[in-house]
Amino acid sequence: MLSVLSYGRLVARAVIGGLSQTDSRDYSLVTASCGFGKDFRKGILKKGMCYGDDACFIARHRSADVLGVADGVGGWRDYGVDPSQFSGTLMKTCERLVKEGRFVPSNPVGVLTTSYYELLQNKVPLLVPEHNVWLSAAALHSSTTPIQSYTVNLIIRSSSVAAQACIVVLDRQSHRLHTANLGDSGFLVVRGGEVVHRSDEQQHYFNTPFQLSIAPPGAEGAVLSDSPDAADSSSFDVQLGDIILTATDGLFDNMPDYMILQELKKLKNTNYESIQQTAQSIAKQAHVLAYDPNYMSPFAQFACDNGLNVRGGKPDDITVLLSIVAEYTD
Amino acid sequence: MLTLLSMFYYICLRRRSRSGTRGEALTSRRAVESGQRAVLPVSVEVEQYAKEVLDFSSHYGSENSMSYTMWNLAGVPNVYPSSGDFTQTAVFRAYGTWWEQCASAPPPFRRTPKGFHSQDYIELGFEEPVYPTAVEVLETYYPGAIVQILACSYNPFSQNPPTDVRWEVLWSGEPTKMLTPQARQFSPTIKHINFPTNLLRLEVNSSLLDYYTELDAVILRGVKERPMLALYKMPVIDISDLSDSEEELSDVGGPFRDSKHQRTGNGYFDKLPYELIQLILSHLTLPDLSRLAQSCKLLHQHCCDPLQYTQLSLQPYWGRLSDASLGHLQSRCTLLQRLNLSWTGNRGALTLTGFSSFMKACGLSLVCLELSCCHFLNEACMEVVSQTCPGLQELNLSSCDRLNSQAFTHISKLTRLRRLVLYRTKIEQTAILSILTFCIELRHLNLGSCVRIEDYDVVASMLAARCRSLCSLDLWRCRNLTDRGLAELVSGCRMLEELDLGWCPTLQSSTGCFQHLARSLPRLRKLFLTANRTVCDSDIEELAASCLSLQHLDILGTRLVSAASLKKLLQSCPQLLLLDVSFCSQIDMRVVQELSGSFPNVAIKKSFTQ
Repeated sequence: MLSVLSYGRLVARAVIGGLSQTDSRDYSLVTASCGFGKDFRKGILKKGMCYGDDACFIARHRSADVLGVADGVGGWRDYGVDPSQFSGTLMKTCERLVKEGRFVPSNPVGVLTTSYYELLQNKVPLLVPEHNVWLSAAALHSSTTPIQSYTVNLIIRSSSVAAQACIVVLDRQSHRLHTANLGDSGFLVVRGGEVVHRSDEQQHYFNTPFQLSIAPPGAEGAVLSDSPDAADSSSFDVQLGDIILTATDGLFDNMPDYMILQELKKLKNTNYESIQQTAQSIAKQAHVLAYDPNYMSPFAQFACDNGLNVRGGKPDDITVLLSIVAEYTD
Repeated sequence: MLTLLSMFYYICLRRRSRSGTRGEALTSRRAVESGQRAVLPVSVEVEQYAKEVLDFSSHYGSENSMSYTMWNLAGVPNVYPSSGDFTQTAVFRAYGTWWEQCASAPPPFRRTPKGFHSQDYIELGFEEPVYPTAVEVLETYYPGAIVQILACSYNPFSQNPPTDVRWEVLWSGEPTKMLTPQARQFSPTIKHINFPTNLLRLEVNSSLLDYYTELDAVILRGVKERPMLALYKMPVIDISDLSDSEEELSDVGGPFRDSKHQRTGNGYFDKLPYELIQLILSHLTLPDLSRLAQSCKLLHQHCCDPLQYTQLSLQPYWGRLSDASLGHLQSRCTLLQRLNLSWTGNRGALTLTGFSSFMKACGLSLVCLELSCCHFLNEACMEVVSQTCPGLQELNLSSCDRLNSQAFTHISKLTRLRRLVLYRTKIEQTAILSILTFCIELRHLNLGSCVRIEDYDVVASMLAARCRSLCSLDLWRCRNLTDRGLAELVSGCRMLEELDLGWCPTLQSSTGCFQHLARSLPRLRKLFLTANRTVCDSDIEELAASCLSLQHLDILGTRLVSAASLKKLLQSCPQLLLLDVSFCSQIDMRVVQELSGSFPNVAIKKSFTQ
């Protein structure tokens, strides 16, 4: 009798202990990056996490893991501006913000807006405003950590460089993934071989997605610009073993979901080397398909649906960040 | 039997060994007394980066940003060993002598000790208190500015209120200038102190440098246990050591020794006329004056004469000033006209009572009051100032960022104000408007980085309406001044000679505001349009046409200015001394060299990142 009771108590304690243990474990993202620049020469020479006009970052903080990709839109090159400098500095600033803890995990848009504000504080003219950017009074009144009380409404008026950006934040303790996506870059969350979450595709009309941008001189009305608050944000729970793929449109325009899933099936364990290998194979495959003139890429498919008769891949900078949710080890 | 023997031997041996060790201890003590060196225990050296920046006097960056701000000095280095002008470093507000050449700069105070060169400071807290063995500063751009490193006995992270706060100078030197702007690790030999510290203070002077100095990180190396070496060193009593002056400053009010009349043996010094002795004494620094007062009755009379104290700068003695010191100086300061209390009184050294009694004693004739970085100030102190100093003409509250906004309302009672510095304070819209309503004689106004002012256009129009004799205006980082406000300002304040509109993002050249400015202010001598990305050729050409007395111009970061218009400007403005064209994409090094060759009197600044 007593032994039954004690055994029962032991079992109960083990079960409860086990359950609470899963809940209290912190999660982390094991991430690898890979990419190819559109311009072959540039892609090799760029240092750090820049592939052509794209850039990305991976940052760790005590409370969260944060990743981001930014796709510098090449169209502003004609105005004498280097889009890769903009996207690269934007991502580096996001990384620095995260490392210094100046962000709230549940507000990834805040990371974007604050690093945008920091870009404006740079002596180097990364943005080229003829008219300048205003920041709302609420944001500047804040004397506490900038991002927490930031409700920056960028009333964007003048010329600069456009970038699309996607930020993914994993809150270690709450096991929630918070994302912000502005533009054609995006992410996929794959669980058990199926896509369970994805970023919504945002486009004004074909081939001109939402952009974080400032209009060129003299063309304010004619250029599309959205404040970062038009970023699509979402948050949801994740489980151990979930695969998160964050990439710029160079990947999604050239590789349909089923091909991506096929590659991800090959990912067997959670160590960095295998993730790196898979990321590389995905990026390489997308790179090859982009230059295939006869291949019916998702980009071509979308164009045909909109009445344009095209075939082939879309040569573009490709940046892939592949992460797996794992347990947090220091 | 055996056990008895063994016990006997054991006891004997123990007694012998014990007496042996006692003997050794005795000899080692003798060794201590005779000053011989003994073998030291090896202690572990702890190396730490700064944990937090606690206080500083100024910085280049914006108040809620991480670019070019002082908070970058904490933590690991971000840039070192690279050199260049990067956002992740700590940059001070000014460099060189350009700001001292402006009309808005106050004249220096007399009696400044020769060894005091500090212009700015920053205080850093570290995680663990250690006895410092080395301090390394990683400077990444235009190094050479550090002039003093001090350590404090107080632990800033402890919950206890500060008692007996001591500051000890670890190293002191002259401001220097390196041959190149490249990064360097500055590691001077520091003095060994006898208390553990985790609060360091760096004081800088950038007056010899060609551009802004930038610091990346500070490393404190030290040991946890008190080094035994300290026991062997006899403290060298240096007559010129200012730490002795603390006793003098507080003793000075005490009874003087001399009661008998001294026979002559002093070379007839006392036969000199009164004014001549006064003139001689006017060259002494304050601690020397206080020591001299103790030598004889005559000199005591001279040294306590209020005429010696028309100007008093206590800033060099910031670490030692207390309520008691002010109390002792009070009786001599009745004719005080200029008082410098900048940097003093922090961590409880000065309180409202001490400050108010001093101000009551000397405020009547006070004309200039410098209270930069005085964190002991509160609303009551400001009220005392407004009541006791009716004739005050100059007030400096730069970086008094702990002063709440209500305190500034009292400034409007000082209607004779001519110079007001409110850099980095929390003044709000209503207070500044009320000040501008009543202080109509304002000549120099500094509202740099005043982030709590909501609408600068209203402030500008108030200035134009009330302060017509405004000569210099610093609106550095004023975030919402538009062309409307600027237009009103320049049409109302026609005497403006200096205007700093650096990092004001809302001014746009396409509205014609800069051209209007140039046409309206022909006397303009200083114009800073730093990081206003819209400055263009037509603005420069208008400046060249209208502002012929221009001396300082900063147009950092614009893509729209060409070399040709700069050449026109340099030709038309013969008095131009400073031209900052950093990060102007059309002006590269070749253009800068060409222009520098043709116009050798102009310092053309072009910063770089790599």
